[in-house]
Amino acid sequence: MEANEILQKAAQLRSGLSTSFRDEIVKSLYTEAETIARRAVKSAADRKYDFDQKIDRLVTSPVFGLPIMLALLAVVIWLTVSGANVVSDAIASLLFWVGDQGRALFHALHIPWWITGFLWDGVYRGLAWVVSVMLPPMMIFFPAFTILEDLGYLPRVAFNLDWLYRKSGAHGKQALTMAMGFGCNAAGVVSTRIIDSPRERLIAILTNNFVPCNGRFPTLIMLSTVFVAAGFSGFTASVIAAASVVVVVMIGIAFTLLMSWLLTKTMLKGEASAFTLELPPYRVPNVWRILYTSLIDRTLFVLWRAMQTAAPAGAIIWILANVPVGNSNLAQSIADWLNPFGLLLGLDGVILLAYIIAIPANEIVVPTMMMVYTGASMMIEGPSGNQEIFNLLVHGHGWTMLTAINLMLFALLHNPCATTIITIYKETKSYKWTILSVVITLGTAILVTFLTATVARLLGWG
Amino acid sequence: MSILVWLIVATIGAVALFFPGYGGLAQFAAWRAMRQRELVEDALKHLLDREQEGRHATPQSLAGTLSANLAQTIKLIAQMESQNLVESRGNEIHLTPEGERWALHIVRAHRLWERYLADEARMPLQKIHSEAHKREHHISQAELDALDAAMGYPTYDPHGDPIPSREGKIPTHRAIPLTAWQAEGPARILHIEDEPAIAYEQVLAAGLRLGQVIRLIEKTPTRYVLSDGENEFRLAPSIAANVHVAPLSETEIARKGAVPLHMLSDGQKGEILLLDESVQGFTRRRFLDLGLTPGALIYPELKNFFGDPRAYRVRGTLIALRKEQAAQIWVKPL
Repeated sequence: MEANEILQKAAQLRSGLSTSFRDEIVKSLYTEAETIARRAVKSAADRKYDFDQKIDRLVTSPVFGLPIMLALLAVVIWLTVSGANVVSDAIASLLFWVGDQGRALFHALHIPWWITGFLWDGVYRGLAWVVSVMLPPMMIFFPAFTILEDLGYLPRVAFNLDWLYRKSGAHGKQALTMAMGFGCNAAGVVSTRIIDSPRERLIAILTNNFVPCNGRFPTLIMLSTVFVAAGFSGFTASVIAAASVVVVVMIGIAFTLLMSWLLTKTMLKGEASAFTLELPPYRVPNVWRILYTSLIDRTLFVLWRAMQTAAPAGAIIWILANVPVGNSNLAQSIADWLNPFGLLLGLDGVILLAYIIAIPANEIVVPTMMMVYTGASMMIEGPSGNQEIFNLLVHGHGWTMLTAINLMLFALLHNPCATTIITIYKETKSYKWTILSVVITLGTAILVTFLTATVARLLGWG
Repeated sequence: MSILVWLIVATIGAVALFFPGYGGLAQFAAWRAMRQRELVEDALKHLLDREQEGRHATPQSLAGTLSANLAQTIKLIAQMESQNLVESRGNEIHLTPEGERWALHIVRAHRLWERYLADEARMPLQKIHSEAHKREHHISQAELDALDAAMGYPTYDPHGDPIPSREGKIPTHRAIPLTAWQAEGPARILHIEDEPAIAYEQVLAAGLRLGQVIRLIEKTPTRYVLSDGENEFRLAPSIAANVHVAPLSETEIARKGAVPLHMLSDGQKGEILLLDESVQGFTRRRFLDLGLTPGALIYPELKNFFGDPRAYRVRGTLIALRKEQAAQIWVKPL
């Protein structure tokens, strides 16, 4: 009986409370905490604090904020472009040498050619390729990115760009998830968990793929080196290649904003939700943690996932290249069949075939293309030297500047890789949104390349 | 042979139709019972509405609200009389104490759901009414008590309508329609009628919200012009009748001179006075967690290329807020 009386008394008192009593409770908690902090914490004249403020004023300044951001992005991409090349060649020759030894061993043991081919030229070569193409850029990109993250710079990026996202009905933290997407779109999709509003989180998931990931950098780098930076050499060439990748990235960001806006106006109608973002103080990055996070957590994790999908893809590629059809092979026949549609998009059949095969892992797009173009029976690097690649593509297979530009656009906009698609399903738990994420990106890629091809041809540039 | 096939088909069909609990007929019966219950509950709400306005419902008014014809409505009233929910006196229909209890439960369910959808699910205000209307019929007393407790026993719904307590007590309202507002001074918007939906959307579209302090600066037969000191809002008189206001209390008048946070100029210090009443639930907790509590010192520190959002220094940390959020925090410039 007494318990009941207490409950009644509580209900009665509750009705007399002012609506802001919760604010008062939190306020008293803060006051108490401040009292304790003042007793326990002594602060010397705070020079670090002033320094922090100076940096903050600079990197978020109305004048310098955006240029500094772009410059940092360009530097990170340039480091990746110019550094990855060297390491990539070394790893490739080592791994391919191992492959040759394995093939020789199998040969000596009189194992049938198709087993040797399937295992060493198919599965192993697929793996070796993904490792040698993907590992070096990741080893440079992820630590660089983790340093910026650890410093506390990334929230400032979100702060600088939030206005654009607000106008597209999205959340400023989407900028952070996109930055993550540079490393790996699957990781980018997972990182959208930092956005509270379900509507804005879905927008971030569906548009994350418009940021080119590490796996797509090699295609962009090859194209910009061979076509855009063709007349230059050494340092200048790497700067120009990096600059054109930056331009492609900015086009991707523009598409992200455009698509966010379209989604807000159509399928994901709604108001921008409350936006609060804490800008943490700058911290000196911890070297060991950076190495651990970027190499173990990110690089190896992403690489392992890519290898799981690259092995079967390598096997399929080898089968396509070694099943004879008439006097060519299956790969060539499928490419011929896809050719009319490819040409409509300003691409060609080989490129489309490479993208279909590369759904599991985008890293193998270039080697697959080279394999079909040169008629080889396994993935190859193609001719050494940019001039030779240029000759093979332009004089051998009718590429134009339009092909190069449209391939860059297609690489930027096309559907997510298998890993990302699976991740999108895991995060949304919905077939509808998973399928839509593919339809939106692939549709955009086809539409945009078709438009540029048609306009270019009408103007007589094709 | 073919007879056997038909027999099997007929058996399957019969089972699908008559299976207790899951068959087509059982499903249909359940759906009809649910539909009937929704009708009864909507009728009860209408009766309660009328009684709170000090008049009584008639079969005609009820038919209008339910968009049913008179014959159906009279049948419904007869059914409700047999359940001892209402009693007819002449052309008037009165709620019995039993009917009133049930009606209050529905109103409480509706308004608590609205509170939940607006604060925790953060649905746009225009959409919460129809969603709450669907949900109000599917919640038991115990579930409702749990919802009420989880939300911290709110007293008003997001439109400013009072939420009845578990015992059926309704907090009193002292707001009057804007059309009856005579005073010169500032007034606080305490209630925005959410029916009809079109009128409600117009009020929201004009930029008015609950808890806002406004001043009536022009009143003509064709339009009402309000001002919050920064923006002007224009309303047709029929729409203005849906906005209910009350004079500011004395402490509120003492707080005059408070400005929304985004009005502070660079480096100008302010003291947080209060968080706007329109911020509730998740967003309010987030604000408080970040240290944006009454009494805290705050000043704008960073501004980017676009001028929005801005970052404010409070309790030693930097918090970026969009203009819409900063406008919900009232500060006293120092």
